[in-house]
Amino acid sequence: MAILEILHFPDPRLRETTKEITVFDDALRAFIDDMFETMYDAPGVGLAATQVGDTRRVAVMDCSDDKNERIVMCNPRILWAEDEQVVDEGCLSVPDHYDRVTRATRLGFAAQDRDGQAYEMEAEGLLAQCVQHELAHLDGGLYIDKLSRLKRERIRRKMAKTAKRAP
Amino acid sequence: MASEAANGARPRVVAARAVAAVIESGRSLDDALADWPANLVGADLALARLLAYGTLRDHRRLGALLAPRLKKTPQPLLDALLRVGLFQLEATRVPAHAAVHATVAATKALKLGGARGLVNAILRGHQREPVSLADAGPAVMASYPDWLAEHIGRDWPDDPAAILAAGNARAPMQLRANRRQGSRDGLVADYRAAGLDVTAMDACADGAQLAEPMAAERLPGFADGRVSIQDGAAQLAADLLAPAEGQRVLDACAAPGNKTAHLLERADIALTALDIDGQRLARVTDTLARLGLAADVRVGDAGAPANWWDGQLFDRILLDAPCSGTGVIRRHPDIKWLRRASDIPAAAERQRGLLAALWATLAPGGRMVYATCSILAAEGDAVIDDFLAREPRAAAQPIEAAWGRATTHGRRIAPGDHDFDGFYYAVLAKH
Repeated sequence: MAILEILHFPDPRLRETTKEITVFDDALRAFIDDMFETMYDAPGVGLAATQVGDTRRVAVMDCSDDKNERIVMCNPRILWAEDEQVVDEGCLSVPDHYDRVTRATRLGFAAQDRDGQAYEMEAEGLLAQCVQHELAHLDGGLYIDKLSRLKRERIRRKMAKTAKRAP
Repeated sequence: MASEAANGARPRVVAARAVAAVIESGRSLDDALADWPANLVGADLALARLLAYGTLRDHRRLGALLAPRLKKTPQPLLDALLRVGLFQLEATRVPAHAAVHATVAATKALKLGGARGLVNAILRGHQREPVSLADAGPAVMASYPDWLAEHIGRDWPDDPAAILAAGNARAPMQLRANRRQGSRDGLVADYRAAGLDVTAMDACADGAQLAEPMAAERLPGFADGRVSIQDGAAQLAADLLAPAEGQRVLDACAAPGNKTAHLLERADIALTALDIDGQRLARVTDTLARLGLAADVRVGDAGAPANWWDGQLFDRILLDAPCSGTGVIRRHPDIKWLRRASDIPAAAERQRGLLAALWATLAPGGRMVYATCSILAAEGDAVIDDFLAREPRAAAQPIEAAWGRATTHGRRIAPGDHDFDGFYYAVLAKH
């Protein structure tokens, strides 16, 4: 197991679209384990392959308080979504920034697990928010795309400043 | 997706960083909190502010509660987080388990992961059995540095404990009605009709007090300049200076421009708004624009008139001199930890210099109001005493007022008196 490097906005690799996974082998499972380790370390409640510079269509989540409810989403798609609310959101690829975005409160999604087994699941609250956040990543999206251009530009400048200061 | 949003750590992270920035780096709290503008919104931002302000108000006492539980001095950020955690347990309505959980969670984001167990053990230990502070002195219990508690004790011998306590009270939000857009009583009536809990302040003609603070932009009429946010004690400056129509008036240390604006709301005068800090002076321009007022706004050192003065004497001068700020500790608890004992004589020296330099620009028959938001005599009567001894053409005029207490040359206000900030005023006439 290893902790992977999380890419930071505005890294262009965060804008790549992922490819459908067809082979569910040990290499994929090892990668998924690394993603969990990286996510827990960050600490985060969700991580998409795009954020660690990989283009496989997979994301991992754990929104539980005790960090014992791992969810793997390979090739996920949202089936339905309802109700909207404004929620606070932050992203491991945009460290130290949080803002309010509008997200569906409840949704159903279909995906495959680490072995390729298909499943369907309903989610609400934080988990529903996380599913939407990670799915956007897999298509090259970021939550800050939902913010005004002015805010995004301010974040970009601040990130550039922080990056320069880092050793 | 980042997880801090979910576990409540963020307000604690921001509060701990801000407290450490004040204590360790000597930055002002407002400045330190402004570092994370995109970081917090809504209730989280309000909580972070509450935690940072409260922890700084109570900083020394929290340290005394903490010390017996620590084997060695923690690094500044950990020290700040521990005090933020204790403050939550002591003084907020945050449920204890949530306070502990969120504070422990904050260790990760602060890169203090190694102290996770320590934070947990200390906060839970405090919950079980708080350290007794029965032997702690008044400076520890009221959380002031010794030098300041002693200085206040000398200057306010009647009831120093009350002065210290008043500095730890949460300051009320006070407003000033713009006379050019209607009366104060009209504003109060309109606000009440809109469901706001507001009362007219009896000691200042344009003042009103809100029962609950609210954001400026939510105040009805704020954007249109009908109302400003200003402590009542600061509103007394315009009463004392009492400029008449057409007079030449100087506001010598004008930023951020609240008193400047108040003077212009009162009368049509030719006002020069001077400040040494060009950046802060920009706020004067903003304030005047919002209120629809105009002044000659200039960058310059009030202590060196040759650099900015055109030689025409002023009829009225307001010298709201830079000072220790010991009268506004209830609004800026960081002042307790940012000031040093040596700052007081240095500030007094600067105040003497400003007074002497500006006196030359005042017309015979003119009036100067000297003000500081300090409660220390060294920055009040002592400065005026010196000045009067050296300046035969100056006389201090007695201030007849319902507020504050008379001193030898002027009047001083204890913080909390009339719900005001602590202040000093002297009115000087030139023959």
